[in-house]
Amino acid sequence: MKHILTLALCLATTPALANRVFVSNEKGNDVTVLDGETLEVIGTYPVGNRPRGITISPDGKELYVCASDDNLVRVFDPETMEELHTLPSGPDPELFVLHPSGNPLYIANEDDNLVTVVDTRTHQVLAEIPVGVEPEGMGISPDGKVVINTSETTNMAHFIDSESFEIFANVLVDSRPRFAQYSADGSKLYVTSEIGGTVSVIDPATQQIVKKISFDIPGVLPEAIQPVGARITSDGAKLFVALGPANRVAVIDGATDEVKDYLLVGQRVWQMAFTPDEKYLFTTNGNSNDVSVIDVAAEKVVKSVPVGQQPWGVVVAPN
Amino acid sequence: MRSVLTLILALAAGPALAANGTDPDWPCIQRKQPHLSLGQIWSGPAPDEAIGDLAREPAIAALAERLEQRRLPVEEAEADIAAFAETADNARLTALMVAVFDRIEPERSALIAGIARYGQKQVELAQMIEDRRAKMAALEAAAEPDFDAIDSEEAALDWDQRIFTERQQSLTYVCETPVILEQRAFALARAIAGHLE
Repeated sequence: MKHILTLALCLATTPALANRVFVSNEKGNDVTVLDGETLEVIGTYPVGNRPRGITISPDGKELYVCASDDNLVRVFDPETMEELHTLPSGPDPELFVLHPSGNPLYIANEDDNLVTVVDTRTHQVLAEIPVGVEPEGMGISPDGKVVINTSETTNMAHFIDSESFEIFANVLVDSRPRFAQYSADGSKLYVTSEIGGTVSVIDPATQQIVKKISFDIPGVLPEAIQPVGARITSDGAKLFVALGPANRVAVIDGATDEVKDYLLVGQRVWQMAFTPDEKYLFTTNGNSNDVSVIDVAAEKVVKSVPVGQQPWGVVVAPN
Repeated sequence: MRSVLTLILALAAGPALAANGTDPDWPCIQRKQPHLSLGQIWSGPAPDEAIGDLAREPAIAALAERLEQRRLPVEEAEADIAAFAETADNARLTALMVAVFDRIEPERSALIAGIARYGQKQVELAQMIEDRRAKMAALEAAAEPDFDAIDSEEAALDWDQRIFTERQQSLTYVCETPVILEQRAFALARAIAGHLE
């Protein structure tokens, strides 16, 4: 009986795709697929020109890749890496965020100051939302009601109603905001500023900045500290911020928003993704052409895995 | 003609892009980082004065000299580091790191300065092309055009445009060179750090 139960559990927790890791290689024009358990490279697959933003549907059936130089989003079967279809994205899509339900997809168009909203089922553009200059970072509230876009040159986080597609608030943050990340309970919004070198902690209810996290790494010149990607554990306890050419990931106490440690990863650390169980955090290192694997509980780098040329984005398949 | 104009416009836009808190003369898409810092590649012991002295020891200096050469494949460099590490403690490993860094960093800084000069020269050349073009227009608009002068101006303009375009095409590679040095420094640091106790 016990054996059968174990078998049934194994079967339930190991579908074909469990914990596969997908890394977009901006210069290699491909995606490297890793096994999230063994950390071995499964394969490398062409995905169009200059792939950057990458995400996966909640059911794990569709992998979305911003093919920036093709001016569209390419959709792949994550299991076979065959292209299924494309989605219109507007010019130069860089980063996007998927509604928690899996539809629609909100895409930042860096060149024409728009956020394009695309229906992932009908493949139609639902809206084009004018935002600030050089829109870049995209985030969405856990309840799916608010989409955040950051504009690099206007230096704002725009709060967008995900249904009416109207901007209802703007928050001025530090120079060149790159990424927006909500805590899982929706009580905090973190916005990273690449040039400003800070992370703004915003209260989403009042749209006020409640704190600014700054970084100071012994032996590293301040201009090398460029916060980009950010991820927070679902219990809100640990926030990780990728610091670009400082080659470090900051570990931040999610309760106090104080920096606890800086982990040396690879060069030009850019975006990050957790495994579904949050055991590991993967970081893309654009200049050392590898992925660092961080043990989340131990707060240690456990491995670096060579991937393709200039890794940019990363997503892990859901369970 | 049109493509040169586009290039000139692109060049004019380049420094504006880079101007985000950086040097307006910087021609690369990559943000200008005049200096590397040791902490970007090293999380081992922080070097103190004693380690600085150790880094000047002939055996360590000679190894650093060898490791820094880009023609030495990384695999061979790693093997050299492993051999050194057999008898080296953390202080000596850190000293080797300092010695390597003190060689790569000035080389990279010199490169960065060179790229800035390259960018300035392109801006000057773009201005010269504009001036020549204005002169051509004036010569052509004359009541009795001096065709010899127009021909010579046209030939000079062709050359300037060709040089400008070729230099512009090399810019992507030129801008990549500091990254190549950073990659080398990082790979060596990782190899050295791997032997820390």
